[in-house]
Amino acid sequence: MQETVDMRNGRDKIGQAGAPRRDGGVFTQSSSSSATKSLWDLKVAVIVDRDDDGERLVRELQRLRCQVHHEWPIPPQIPVHYDAVFCTLSADLPQRLPWIPGEPGAALVVIDRGDSPLDLKLLHNCAAHGVLHYPTTTRSVQAVLSLARSHFLYERRLRGRIDKLDESLRTMRSVERAKSLLMRVKNITEEEAYNYLRRQAMERRVTIGAVASAIVDSYDLLS
Amino acid sequence: MTRSSNTSEPWRVGVLFSRSGFMAVIEETQFRGTLTAIEEINAAGGVNGRPIEPICYDPGSEASAFGRYAKKLMVEDGVSTIFGCYTSSSRKAVLPVVERLNGLLWYPTLYEGFEFSPNVIYTGATPNQNSVELCRVLMQTYGTRFYFIGSDYIYPRESNRIMRELIRNSGGSVVGESYVNMGAKRAEFLPVMREVKRAQPDVIFSTVVGDGTVYLYQAYAELGLNPKMMPIASLTTTEAEIRAMGHDVGEGHITAAPYFQGIGNERNSTFVRHYQKRYGEDEPTNMCLEASYFQVNVFAKTLEQTGSMDTEILRSSVMGSEFEAPQGDVVINPIWGHADLWTRIGRANRQGQFDLVYESPSCVRSDPYLLGYGRSLRQRSLELT
Repeated sequence: MQETVDMRNGRDKIGQAGAPRRDGGVFTQSSSSSATKSLWDLKVAVIVDRDDDGERLVRELQRLRCQVHHEWPIPPQIPVHYDAVFCTLSADLPQRLPWIPGEPGAALVVIDRGDSPLDLKLLHNCAAHGVLHYPTTTRSVQAVLSLARSHFLYERRLRGRIDKLDESLRTMRSVERAKSLLMRVKNITEEEAYNYLRRQAMERRVTIGAVASAIVDSYDLLS
Repeated sequence: MTRSSNTSEPWRVGVLFSRSGFMAVIEETQFRGTLTAIEEINAAGGVNGRPIEPICYDPGSEASAFGRYAKKLMVEDGVSTIFGCYTSSSRKAVLPVVERLNGLLWYPTLYEGFEFSPNVIYTGATPNQNSVELCRVLMQTYGTRFYFIGSDYIYPRESNRIMRELIRNSGGSVVGESYVNMGAKRAEFLPVMREVKRAQPDVIFSTVVGDGTVYLYQAYAELGLNPKMMPIASLTTTEAEIRAMGHDVGEGHITAAPYFQGIGNERNSTFVRHYQKRYGEDEPTNMCLEASYFQVNVFAKTLEQTGSMDTEILRSSVMGSEFEAPQGDVVINPIWGHADLWTRIGRANRQGQFDLVYESPSCVRSDPYLLGYGRSLRQRSLELT
């Protein structure tokens, strides 16, 4: 069974859902900070049984103005193209994830229904960004979504940074070589050579590494 | 995992080498090297009384399959140590998995360097252990004009970048550069070879890997070119590829490697004898096989001390450790987790073996980011200190 629930329907229910709980909507309502806003319009796949807890989770996510897509039972492959995935923890969840650990496609929150012993190894293997324990509360849903999302993004930024560092280490060598070539051929100082490279890069709107490689390569061809 | 020593439960490890597809020619030998070591260790009573149990998958020369199988090994089979990978693309596919789940990949293949992962032990050569010396020998013996031929993926492109730098800084030049697709067919190599013939270089530097190696050297032979005048030099053409192309085809060509079957020492003779007893008298050993073999032994020796497969414990214990490998004494460099290996340059003979042209006086410290070596080859002695 699949359905995509429009978030506006959900928001009408704010009153009924939040009222009985002390940690309910009252506090969240007051803080529509930028942090809360960053969760607006997130596409969230929710893969849970639609029991009371499941219903509550969907409602809380809608209240946070997420675009909720519900699915149950767990499909053989967890859907891609969502910002976050909430999925009931099952023994074969790692195999159902469409990505390899270390290259996740979405922030993953696993749901612990609390009806069997907690399997830490399984949690590790899911490489999840957060865990939500039943019964859920407004606070716990908001906190786990926010943290999972920020962990996911942080991981992605770090990976990007490492890729860039690797690339920079390589291009630094080209820049050094291009610099010494320029110094020799044009009979200029190191600083002038570097400025030349930078100017060329800016004019051509390419990286300084690309200019350096081009110079080194073409020099190889000329000689 | 750490627990008591009075269990006979096996130590489970993962093994990922292609036994099918265009990389099988070399990865099959790495697979055998791994199993030979495991069998030897188990025959001698295992590690602390427990046997090593390999769980093996065949990724079929497809890089993404390496990533999937690494995940399967760690998630479904509960393995934390994996021996495997030949190509850089396959290593890069396994990397995110072992990094996220905190596994340990033992990588027994030379590669282009410029990488450091706390979740990998690198036991193959990096450019300062093969390219630097190879470049010097080639320029002294054959001349200064090079032609590059490579398979089209990370390793050849990066190796050529480094080789180009070495050549240029020593006053040589690169007169041409061609790439063929991974898994290219035989017919694709003749036009490339004709192009080389026209360019008349002094040396052909090849970074072609897998079945392509065989086609390349055969195309060379077909055009009647003379290895005495214009040899193919390589970092990857081992005894395995020479055997596959034919001893007459390989004769006279040059390879730089930490290990050749023909190096004379007692440890190596025992290793070769043992291997051939298991797989056949005419089965040669090679550098990738040797690295696969010794890294399992380094692992076992470390495990004996730690009694734990925990990645953190294994890794911190293996860093800086020394081992007597068939190639000679090697060290897992404590800074980089890359092995300090021997530098050797060999010329293939009619028997499909390599005659030594150069040998370093001891193992050469690994320098994956090429920080320590000088800009020109004259300063090469620095890295040996």
